Amino acid sequence: MTMTLYHGEPVGPSLTVLAALFESGLETDLVRIDLGLAERHGGAIPLGFEANYSVEGEGPVLVVDGEALVDSVFIGCLFDDLAPECGLRPTDPYARWEMMAWCRWMIERLAPGAAALANLAWTTPRLAALDDASFAARIAPIEADDLRARWAQTRAGILSDDHRAASEARVHEAAKKIDDRLADRQWIMGEFSLADLESYAWLAPMRALLPAAFEDKPRLAVWLARVAGRPSVVRAAELARSADPVGSFAPGPEINRWG
Amino acid sequence: MTSDVTLYHWEPNANSGKPMLTMVEKGLSFNSHYIDLLAFDQHKPEYLAINPMGTIPAMTHGGRLLNESTAMMEYVEEAFPGPAMMPEDAVDRWRVRWWMKFLDQWLCPSFSMIGWSLFIGPQVRERDPEELKAAIERIPLPERRIAWRKAIYGLFSEEELAESRRRVDFGIGKLEEALAKREYLGSSQYTLADINLFNSAYGLPSMQPDDVNDEKTPNLMRWLRAVARRPAVRETWTYSRVPRFAERILPLIEEAA
Repeated sequence: MTMTLYHGEPVGPSLTVLAALFESGLETDLVRIDLGLAERHGGAIPLGFEANYSVEGEGPVLVVDGEALVDSVFIGCLFDDLAPECGLRPTDPYARWEMMAWCRWMIERLAPGAAALANLAWTTPRLAALDDASFAARIAPIEADDLRARWAQTRAGILSDDHRAASEARVHEAAKKIDDRLADRQWIMGEFSLADLESYAWLAPMRALLPAAFEDKPRLAVWLARVAGRPSVVRAAELARSADPVGSFAPGPEINRWG
Repeated sequence: MTSDVTLYHWEPNANSGKPMLTMVEKGLSFNSHYIDLLAFDQHKPEYLAINPMGTIPAMTHGGRLLNESTAMMEYVEEAFPGPAMMPEDAVDRWRVRWWMKFLDQWLCPSFSMIGWSLFIGPQVRERDPEELKAAIERIPLPERRIAWRKAIYGLFSEEELAESRRRVDFGIGKLEEALAKREYLGSSQYTLADINLFNSAYGLPSMQPDDVNDEKTPNLMRWLRAVARRPAVRETWTYSRVPRFAERILPLIEEAA
């Protein structure tokens, strides 16, 4: 089995997958791409249907024997399937259910909101600086109509008042959910797991944009520092090339259309 | 039969059908609790005492509660003996999980937006307006409250419905391609991804006969018949109480047999 991980700066889904990889001890080639400038669609990566229609949006891509795999939590599950002793998932089925339901909440509820706020703050100026032809050329190969539309909205800086309010509410809700969860434990599942990486990767960047969500949450603050100090996360963070990788986002999951 | 597993479900389709069909395939006996979605049973205090999220389905195993239908399916697969409903190969397992997410978050919400705007909304709308208002207020999850309000009052915009129709049409094409490539969805064996899809797609040949038929989508039809032929599918439909749903699947089951 040969594996190549195409990843962006260590933030958001790229951070989850890089840290999960280092937790697993598995070997892959690492190739850096600028997800925020749509380099995923530049032709070097053999994207298939699944990668083109990733619910996660523009996350990292793991190419396994020529097949492009996406969606951080499921790549983390793959690492855990390949290295079952690595502890990315609990072994007890009920704890696994709890972890998968937790991660689903993060990707379905927090991630669309966090991505919308982060992109408006950091990706919109990057894309607005491109001339029209250059931007058009970058997004032209994107297969999914709805993803291509999110790129155009990001460049234009479009976020409705309703979506902004809902996005901010999600960040507040996630911060509280994690703080509450940590009342009797150090890690979200008791032991460290993929749930810590997925939650951290989406929530931590929000400190710069929505500090109010983090106020008066001492357990959350300690946990954020604990995850940041985890050797796998430190190693991922060391791969950063920009002074502050927190701004390296790209269009993420769409905000739920219904329910 | 007594069991320490109880499933709280509505009709044996969509989300309720996912854990139910998995349980039946695994040969797991369970206590069935029918929750009438159209009567808002899922938001009544007695059910909220069991599942505070007020969503269907939910299950209890011993004293433990589980919700989120796809995560429940993986739990049933891992916690109980019986035939394997996940592939052995790690990349196949990734693909099965990917498809389930694509269905849960991209394609099936479009199926259900259309279904709710055509059937569930109009049916529920006939009730007393004050009763409906109170029922909406009782919904614990804000996103579900918005979803129900839209369905009940017919608030889907033409743009939203058009996007859902685009996704359904597109999705049918992609399912046909995926099932031309592999015998089942995402792998060469029947798995949780097939259970997930079948519970939302069984009605396609009768609902959209011009789009889903032996000429246009031969692989999707082959797959639909292969799943419909399974004894477990027939068994789950003995739990149905709404003839309109059963009428849509029984011809497929009969034809496949």
